Amino acid sequence: MTATSETRIGQDILAALRAKMPHAVTEERWQTNDQVTITVKLNSLPDVVRTLYYEHDGWLSTMVGNDERSINGTYALYYVLSMEGAAKCHVVVHTEISPDSLEFPSVTPSVPAAVWYEREVRDMFGLRPVGLPDERRLVLPDDWPDDLYPLRKDSMDYRFRPEPTEDNENYRFVNDAKQETTVVPLGPLHITSDEPGHFRLFVDGETIIDADYRMFYVHRGMEKLAETRMGYNEVTFLADRVCGICGYAHSVAYASSVENALGIEVPARAQAIRAILLETERLHSHLLNLGLVCHFTGFDSGFMQFFRVREKAMTLAEMLTGSRKTYAINLIGGVRRDILGEQKAATLALIAELRAEVTRLLDILMSTPNFAGRVANVGRLDPQIARDYSPVGPVVRGSGHRRDTRADHPFAGYKLVGLPVNTQAGCDILSRTQVRIAEFYDSIDLIERLLDAAPGGPILTEGFTYRPHRFALGYTEAPRGEDMHWSMTGDNQKLYRWRCRASTYNNWPVLRYMLRGNTVSDAPLIVGSIDPCYSCTDRVTIVDVNKARARTIAYKEMERYCRDRTNSPLK
Amino acid sequence: MPDLSHIILAVCQALLLLAVAPLVSGYSRVLRAKMHTRRGPGLLQDYRDLVKLMGRQDMHPPASGMVFRVMPVVMMATLLVISTGTPILTRFSPIQAAGDLITTIYLFALARFFFSLSGIDSGSSFAGIGASRELTLGVLVEPVMMLALIMAALLAGSTDLGTIGTAIAAGHVHSLTATVVAAVAFAFAVYIELGKLPYDMAEAEQELQEGPLTEYSGPSLALVKWSLSLKQVLVVGWFAGVFLPFGSSTDLSVTGILLGLVVFALKIAVAFLVVGVIENSVSRARFRFTPQHSWIGVGVASLAFVFYLVGL
Repeated sequence: MTATSETRIGQDILAALRAKMPHAVTEERWQTNDQVTITVKLNSLPDVVRTLYYEHDGWLSTMVGNDERSINGTYALYYVLSMEGAAKCHVVVHTEISPDSLEFPSVTPSVPAAVWYEREVRDMFGLRPVGLPDERRLVLPDDWPDDLYPLRKDSMDYRFRPEPTEDNENYRFVNDAKQETTVVPLGPLHITSDEPGHFRLFVDGETIIDADYRMFYVHRGMEKLAETRMGYNEVTFLADRVCGICGYAHSVAYASSVENALGIEVPARAQAIRAILLETERLHSHLLNLGLVCHFTGFDSGFMQFFRVREKAMTLAEMLTGSRKTYAINLIGGVRRDILGEQKAATLALIAELRAEVTRLLDILMSTPNFAGRVANVGRLDPQIARDYSPVGPVVRGSGHRRDTRADHPFAGYKLVGLPVNTQAGCDILSRTQVRIAEFYDSIDLIERLLDAAPGGPILTEGFTYRPHRFALGYTEAPRGEDMHWSMTGDNQKLYRWRCRASTYNNWPVLRYMLRGNTVSDAPLIVGSIDPCYSCTDRVTIVDVNKARARTIAYKEMERYCRDRTNSPLK
Repeated sequence: MPDLSHIILAVCQALLLLAVAPLVSGYSRVLRAKMHTRRGPGLLQDYRDLVKLMGRQDMHPPASGMVFRVMPVVMMATLLVISTGTPILTRFSPIQAAGDLITTIYLFALARFFFSLSGIDSGSSFAGIGASRELTLGVLVEPVMMLALIMAALLAGSTDLGTIGTAIAAGHVHSLTATVVAAVAFAFAVYIELGKLPYDMAEAEQELQEGPLTEYSGPSLALVKWSLSLKQVLVVGWFAGVFLPFGSSTDLSVTGILLGLVVFALKIAVAFLVVGVIENSVSRARFRFTPQHSWIGVGVASLAFVFYLVGL
């Protein structure tokens, strides 16, 4: 690898860890200068993760389960920690699980942020976290067979669809309320969210006492798809499709994970272009959320105006990439299109227009008589809860934590320019909105500076070879927060494992705390304030139980109806 | 006992209001689209919506009962009764028995009562919350409405809407300031009664999935929507009949009534223009704070009473 022992960042952290737990770490492997994977003994896993998390300013970025039986006869877990103290680096804690026991000590009791990851790895690989407080399924639907684990290498063909095992929904929603509460179901389909997510609000009068929710109604099986039938470059285009809004961030994260794994040098110009396009994506995404905040408070005039102005950001994306959604521009090793002189001029003109128009609109929004009253002190995210659960993006920055991947772990073109990290201490929806507003202006500045700072030269590195079983992280700061990808190359021109963690995945677990104590009518607004992306969170499966109000219709019956269109089971 | 010509006038007035109600809500939608800088549907869209809904299947939730089923009809019928008694085209109430201010207020309350009840009866939790909001709003807005109208009644010396209107038009009131202040308080109450932003609590789309409307479909939904737009025209007509009766016909002559019709159309156009600008420039108020708003209304109405006592 390119990393040398003098320039490696994070060695102090490892030294401190070894001093504290002399026998825990058995191996260390450096992927890049600031990315290290340490292998620890299974029983010291929770202690190591807790030490890194709470004593060295670590945040849990993702956790990867991997079926490595064909490589070394074990299952592997990789807990990815983003170290944001003095030495900013990524420490990946790797441990091996024997296929005979399939058990590992749960990290969740010591680091709550691990809860969704451990539930997911249990669903997908059948690895049992011992001591995990929440034993419910996370990803798999209720009618999925008990002993079928989709991401195991020998489990199933991606086209295979198991027989549903039962017709009834048996998911148990958790309610910690002490008093008697009424249940208000929000979803799976609700008027303010265009994607399915099922929220149960436990209310007393109009006040929410507790809330629980389940997602993954539209799991698309992307990780399995990438591992079984796509080449490396095709996956960049698949990664674009992870999200309908911030897909480009995923494609950059994926491409850089493979580049990091193989040590490919991406030309500086390509890196600058990636950063410019990421900021373009942020422009339209933040305008979308500002519009939606207006919509959720009933201020539809603002909603429509923001969407009108947002169109300019889409025009910008179309001019630079050929498609309104900054799609299909990345390849492993660089980008497919350069930004030419006249495009640069047109970009500057467009963002100047955007700046003027948005400034006017924000003026109107902030002076709308009851807007601030509607969003201030609603949906509070306590900074300590934020610390425990590792949320990302404007959600965590609105609660006073300075976390921004662009500043903490500069990637792509962000190495060329410095940038401020905007935080707000209000912890409420107003703070999150203000963070997004500040970031909108930063994005405009960044695009201007990057256009100037971008050096000339090639935009694509070619002529490298893929070597098997190399792995590394790739990350970006999407508009909703950090996207974290982990890729391991395979020996058949396909990925051995691709783990894609979208930003919203880290923000869901804290939502429960944000909902408590607010009114039912503010629930959609609070959910909207994390700028949720359901389909990004949902990546893997297909089966779902279709429900009609009181009865449950067998899946087969529904499928038959879709085909024949006669004798509706709904009647 | 009203004679035949009064009855004909009452029926014509009610049918006329019923016929133009979707036009008025269509006009609101056009204004809304203008404020949104979008093109929006045409003026006649609400008629098309009603026709479409009338042809659809009427579905009821299994948990719902009688009240849920009869509500659209009861609500429409109540509002039509009110339209026969309100002095809109003429200075006097076409049917005096229905034109009493207390009768009118409680007929509105009847419609609201059934509307809320249907929400509770539907079995949907959103409709239930919407229903309880609707009732709370009723409790909050009624004192303002009562106080303001009783002020007007005291000033004119009668509780008949037509007589009050006539007195105000002729300037035969005890105190001009008190009349204006009472009119302001009543206008505020009427605005809340319109169910427009920032006070569309019960039917808040984003918060409660349109509250009591959630579970309605097909012809029932059409009737409820039609009733809601009729109610909006009616409350504005009610306000105009009492506090701005200028231009309405003082007798039963055809020319007088036609002139009254033209003036009423103008009043509606101006009133909904003002309402449209207000409703599209604000966010929805937080329901918790609505009582604070309605207290202002009560304060203003009480102020009118003070002016009345002082005789300014």
